[in-house]
Amino acid sequence: MSRATARGAELFLRATWARAYVRLVGSFRQPEWLLTDALFPNLGMCAFVLLYRGLGASRSMEAVAIIGGVLVTFWFNVLWGMGAQMFWEKQQGQLQLYFAAPCSRMAILTGMAAGGLVSSTIRALVGVAIGVFVFHVQLAQVSWPVFAAVFLVTMLALYALGMLLSSLFVLYGREAWHLCNALGEPVQFVSGLYFPVRTFGEVGAALAGIIPLTLGVDALRQVLLGPAARGLLPLSTEIALLAGGTVLLLWLAARALEHLERLSKQEGRLTQRWQ
Amino acid sequence: MAMSLTLQRVRTSAWLGWQVEGNWADPTLFAIYVVARPLATALILVAMYRAVGGAQTHDALFAGFYLANAFHNYVNSVVVGMGWAVFEEREEYETLKYVYTSPVGLFTYLAGRSLVKFALASVSVALILGLGFLALGLRIDPAQVQWAPLAFSIVLGLIGVLFVGYLMAALCLVLTRAAITIIEGTTVAFYLLAGVIFPLDLLPMALRVVSLMLPFTWWYEALRRFAFGRGASVQLASLSDGALLAAFIGVTAVTGVVAWVGCHALDRQARRLGRVDQTTLF
Repeated sequence: MSRATARGAELFLRATWARAYVRLVGSFRQPEWLLTDALFPNLGMCAFVLLYRGLGASRSMEAVAIIGGVLVTFWFNVLWGMGAQMFWEKQQGQLQLYFAAPCSRMAILTGMAAGGLVSSTIRALVGVAIGVFVFHVQLAQVSWPVFAAVFLVTMLALYALGMLLSSLFVLYGREAWHLCNALGEPVQFVSGLYFPVRTFGEVGAALAGIIPLTLGVDALRQVLLGPAARGLLPLSTEIALLAGGTVLLLWLAARALEHLERLSKQEGRLTQRWQ
Repeated sequence: MAMSLTLQRVRTSAWLGWQVEGNWADPTLFAIYVVARPLATALILVAMYRAVGGAQTHDALFAGFYLANAFHNYVNSVVVGMGWAVFEEREEYETLKYVYTSPVGLFTYLAGRSLVKFALASVSVALILGLGFLALGLRIDPAQVQWAPLAFSIVLGLIGVLFVGYLMAALCLVLTRAAITIIEGTTVAFYLLAGVIFPLDLLPMALRVVSLMLPFTWWYEALRRFAFGRGASVQLASLSDGALLAAFIGVTAVTGVVAWVGCHALDRQARRLGRVDQTTLF
């Protein structure tokens, strides 16, 4: 490795750590925010679990909803903590500092993703606790190394999507905000977060599988619930698709960031607030 | 004269609210934005029902949950919207102080802003009910419907939504950036506590007590009973129609008093803390 490459890699890692550090410290700075972020999304999950209970559904269906509900935390972090982040930075007047810094923009996005993943995992643990201690969710024989691998590849794919969204939103103003708002529940529906994706039928489920969250939640359910998960595709296929999707999304994010940075500079929208 | 002036101010605030809400996109995109979220929530409910073998989407129980889920859009839209109006005026546009110093006054201004939210929520509710009718085979049996109590319940429920909306807006005056998660989260909490999509009998006793203190719980139960002839809760089924309405009126009236007192107290607190022009986020 040449000295220039080594210095470039070091700068990338330092920028990644710097951005992740801000996010981690920011997450814990206001403890009541941590509590509300962790608790409130899970209340919706509780409502869905109680719906299944009211319908007399099997306990595995409750587990299906709980796993989906836990993953909602990550999806919202991807939407608001990644996708809309550039919008927030623009509103705060900080976006130009990112572009003036000597480091790679992808390093900043990677740091945002890493910090967001850690803080979201802490929040998601509240959902896990509700599932275990309140609803007494029953799991199949779980291979925890496989679970860890599936969780990791799901998160990589999800946050790579977040990096792509973040890149796209460099150009936009309020549209980014509204788009994130509009994407929350529709993606929860299309991804089958609260019900088996197979409910859509073969074709619908295949189309829904384009979204990494769909494959991720389905794969995690297969690992945790076994056949009761009513999985969409074989686990190995879903892992391969998620891994391939991650690479594709990261490549797209890098290209989109490059292109939209240039475009927003040309149109003078990089520092434009209140639009 | 005073009423006419107030109405004029509400109308102007509503117009301004419409510009803030809708001028970021072309009408088609805006229409998609308005309907995407509530329709998705309704579709999640449908998919969950279908995922459970044997559950029929045209039975009365599902119809009651579907109806309540549709009307919960008013809570999502108006309650969150009024809180957001305060938050974005103060933090994002930094104009809340001008609303305070204008002759319109904050609470009249919020009434105008809530009108836009109400209109948008009405579109969503109509679309969700239309979807239920056309695609899911949901029907109202005229023999079961009690039109007068149903109409009264709808109006009373909307008044309750407005009361809670004012209270949330006043809370946002005092809260700083945590207001975002608090107001969004509170509506999710209402979704659980009001038993929108499940019988409230399934809640633990402590939460059931909280549930019965919310106007929305009574609203949704009244809507189900007067539209489909049966509610969802076994506990509330023992109440006669008159008792149900009386409880609904009582809880809404108490909510109104709490909102009135709370709004003025929180407003004073916000001024005392200097929160009216404090920016903590953008």
